[in-house]
Amino acid sequence: MSRIRSESRRVGIAGAVALGLVLTGCSGGGGTAGGGSDTLVAYTGQAGDYQINFNPYSPTAIDGPGTIFEPLFFYNIARKDNPAPRLGTAFSWNKQGTELSITLRSDAKWSDGKKFTADDVAFTLDMIRKNPGMNSTGYSGRATVVDATHVKITFDKPSFSDGPQILGKSWIVPKHIWSKITKPSEDVMKQPVGTGPYKLAVFKPQAFTLEANPDYYGGAPALKKVRFVALSGNQSGADALKSGQIDWQTGPVPDVRNVSKNYPGYKAITVPMNQAALFTCANADLGCSGPQTDPAVRKAVYYAMDRTQLNALAFENTASEISPGFALPERDRTVVSSRLTDRIAPMNPQADKAARLLQDAGYTKGSDGIYAKGGKKLALTVKVVSGWTDYITAVNTIAEQLKKAGIKLTAQQVSWNEWSDARGRGHYQLLIDSLSQGPAPDPYYLYSYFFSAKTTARVGQSANPNFSRFKDAEVDAALDALKAIDPQNTAARQPYYDTIQTEIEKSMPYIPLLTGGTTSEFNASKFSGWPSDDNLYAFPAVWGRPDNSQVFLHLKPAK
Amino acid sequence: MRYYARKLGFYLVALWAAVTLNFFIPRMMPGNPVDILMAKLQQRGGTVDPAVRRSYELLLGADHSDSLAQQYFSYLSHLLHGDLGVSVSAYPAKVSDVIGQSLPWTIVLIGMATLISFALGLALGTLVGWKRGTWLDSVIPGTTVLAAVPYFWLALILAALLSSTLQWFPLLGGYDVSLAMGWNWPFISSAIYHGILPALTIVISSVGGWLLGMRNMMVSTAAEDYMLTARAKGLRNRRIMIRYAARNAALPSVAGFATSLGFVVSGSVMTEQVFSYPGIGGRLLQAVENNDYALMQGIFLVITVAVLGANLLVDLLYGLIDPRTRASN
Repeated sequence: MSRIRSESRRVGIAGAVALGLVLTGCSGGGGTAGGGSDTLVAYTGQAGDYQINFNPYSPTAIDGPGTIFEPLFFYNIARKDNPAPRLGTAFSWNKQGTELSITLRSDAKWSDGKKFTADDVAFTLDMIRKNPGMNSTGYSGRATVVDATHVKITFDKPSFSDGPQILGKSWIVPKHIWSKITKPSEDVMKQPVGTGPYKLAVFKPQAFTLEANPDYYGGAPALKKVRFVALSGNQSGADALKSGQIDWQTGPVPDVRNVSKNYPGYKAITVPMNQAALFTCANADLGCSGPQTDPAVRKAVYYAMDRTQLNALAFENTASEISPGFALPERDRTVVSSRLTDRIAPMNPQADKAARLLQDAGYTKGSDGIYAKGGKKLALTVKVVSGWTDYITAVNTIAEQLKKAGIKLTAQQVSWNEWSDARGRGHYQLLIDSLSQGPAPDPYYLYSYFFSAKTTARVGQSANPNFSRFKDAEVDAALDALKAIDPQNTAARQPYYDTIQTEIEKSMPYIPLLTGGTTSEFNASKFSGWPSDDNLYAFPAVWGRPDNSQVFLHLKPAK
Repeated sequence: MRYYARKLGFYLVALWAAVTLNFFIPRMMPGNPVDILMAKLQQRGGTVDPAVRRSYELLLGADHSDSLAQQYFSYLSHLLHGDLGVSVSAYPAKVSDVIGQSLPWTIVLIGMATLISFALGLALGTLVGWKRGTWLDSVIPGTTVLAAVPYFWLALILAALLSSTLQWFPLLGGYDVSLAMGWNWPFISSAIYHGILPALTIVISSVGGWLLGMRNMMVSTAAEDYMLTARAKGLRNRRIMIRYAARNAALPSVAGFATSLGFVVSGSVMTEQVFSYPGIGGRLLQAVENNDYALMQGIFLVITVAVLGANLLVDLLYGLIDPRTRASN
C-alpha cells in the first residue's frame, strides 16, 4: 500500500552542461517548502495542488481526521495495543455485543470555545446514519445520550466487529455548527472547528499549515506547526527530501537501507503491514477462466517461487515473511494457526512439491519444459500497473523462477485505470497487489474484506474487495460467528481463525508473496519522539489518519 | 465580409465537433471514478469495506441510470449555461473553480515563455538569416540540438544543475508558501523568481524551432525581386532587413504561433511535473488518473477554445497583414 512508487530514479547530474547562457545570479536559493525550526513539513504524496476540503467525511479531504477532528479512541494498527483514549476514556460491550457504552472526557473544548459533550457524539453518529453518502462504515446503531459524559449505542444484532470503526474512525464534529449545515457530506469546511490538537492556520493550494491548539485538553502539543505541501508526485518528493525541504514522507527512496547515510539527519522506518500477493481470478463458478482456477496450479506457483531472491531483487530486502493464512506473522503472532501446513510460506523454492501438485492435477511436461494439459500450455498472464517498478521487477523475477518449474508467466503492464477496472470486474488471470488491513490490529477485517462471499460478484460485475471471487461456506460461517464474539475473548475466536486460515491455505485464492514494508523517512535531527521498532506507538505513515496525529502528539523539537 | 462569416461558421462547426469529442473520448477510458477512488484510498491505508464503496457511489452520484445520449445532451445544455459540472477527484469542488485556481499559473508561465521564445526565435532567425555565411550560422545547430533533446531530460538536467547544485533557483513549487497570497510585492516577486527556471527550460527547448523556420524564410525571401528593388533604391540595410525581408518571412511563423498558443494550456504537463509547478497540466493528469470526466471535459474545453480562438484570431489578423489571403477567397 505504500504504492507511491518511484518511476524513474534520476541520477545526480551529468557533468557540466554548457548552455552558452549567462544567467543573472539571483541570490537566496533555499527551500520554498522548508519551514522554520518549529514547523514540521509533511509530504503525503499529494500530486498537484490542494483543493480546500477539511470535511473529515469526504473522500477527498486533504486533512482533518485526527488532527482537527478527533475520534473517540485511537487504534494502533501496527501493534496489538489497547485502544488509546482520545475523546473517550473507556468503553464496554454487553455480553451479546448489541450495546456499546462509552465514557467521554469532560474537559474537552471545541476550538471556538464551546464545551464538548455527549450531545456532539450522539449527533455525529446520527448524522452518519442518516447520510448514506457519509456512512462509509455501514453504521446502523442508535446512539442515546445517558448524561454529559456517557453515550450508549444499541444495535439490532451482535456488532463487536463494528467497534473499531465507530470508536476509532468516526470523527466527532460539533453539533452547534454541523446541525446548521443542510448537506454535511458536500460541505468543504473551510474553517474547521474541532477538538483536536491542531487548528487550521493558513490554506494555500500549494501548502496548508496546521498550528497547535493552545486549548487542547492534553495541553498544547510540543510540535507547534505542521505544514502539508503539494508536489508533483513521488519523484519530486524524493528530490525535496534530498534537499531537506520536507521532514516526513512515506514511500520508497533509492537505497532505502542507507537512508541515514544518504540523507544526513534523517532516519527511516519500515513496518511490515501489507501482504503482497498474486491475486487470482479463482472461482470458475462465478465466471473466471484460465488455468489459475485450478487450486493445484495456484499452489504450484506458491511452492515454485524463491521468496528470498524475490525480496532481494524486487524489494531491496525490506519485505518480510508471510503466512499463507494471511495473519501478519509479527503483529498477529498469536493468531497464526498451528493447523496450517506452512505457518510461514517457504522462503526457498520447493520444486518437487510444485511438480507433484501439477502432475497429480493431470499436467505433463512438454519438450519445451513447460507443463501442459489437454494440449494447452500452462501459461498465465499477470496484470501489473506500469510505473510500479518494484512490482514489475517482482513479476519478472517470479516469471524467471516459475519457468524453471515449468510454468509460463507473462507480465502485462497496464495503466492504473485499466488495472483497477480489470481487478474490479475480474477480467484477469493473475494480478499483483496487496491485501490491506482493517481499522484495528485484527486479521478479522482482512478476512471479511477479501474472503467473504458477501463482498464478491460475478465476473463482469464490480466486486469489492473480494476480487478473486473466492467463495467458501466454512469461511463465511466462521466470519459470521466471529462477528458475535467479543474481540477480547481470543480463546473463543481462535477456532474460527483456524478454520479460515486452513481453508484459505487449501484453496489459495491469493497466492502469498511476501509481507511488504511501508517505509517512511523522517527528520530525526529536527524532531525527536518518532515511532521506532521498539516503540511502535502508531503506524508511522504520513498519510495515515488518524495515525499521523498520534505521531504529531509525540514529537518534540530536538533542541 | 463573406470571408469573415465563412470563417466564423467554420469555427462554430469545429467547436461543436471538438466539444462532442471531448465528451466521448474520456468515456472510452477503462475504469470508473468510484473504483479508482477506492483503489487509491486503499493504498493510503483506507479501509476497503464494501460500505465505503457504497457510500462513495451515493456521494459521487455514480449511478448509470442515464443513457449515454441523455448524458450527452444534458452535458451540452449545461455547457451552454456555463456549468462545467462537479469534479469527482476534487469533490465537491466545481470544475470551474478547479480550473480557475490553476489556469492563471499556466497562462502566465507558459504564455510568457512561449511569447519570449517566439520573439527571441524570430529576432535571432532574422539576424542569422540576414548574415548568412558568417559565424552566426553556428547558432542553428546549437539551438536545434537543444530543441531535439527530450524536454523532460533537459528540464531535469537544468533543475539538477541550477537548483540542486548551484542553488540559484528554487527546485519546486510556484511560490514561497510562507508568504501571503495576493497582489503584494513579496509574493509576486517570489512567484516570478520561482517561474524563471521553468520558463527558461521552455524557452531553451523551443527557441530552435522558431529560429530555424525564420532563418530559412529569410534566406528564401532574400532572393525575391522586391529585395533587389529595395537595394537598388538605396534603402538602409537595417530597413530592408526588417521592413522588407523579416516582415514577409515572418508570415508562416505567425500562423505557427497560433497553434503553439493552443499548446500553452496542454503542453504544460511536463513542466509542471518536473518543477511541481501549480497549473492546469497537473490537473489534467489528476483528471485522467481518476477518470474524472467532468474535469477532463472542462480542461479539454479550455484547450479547444484556446486553440480555436488563437487560430481564429490569426486568421482574421492574417487578412489584415496579408491582403492576398482575403482576395483569393
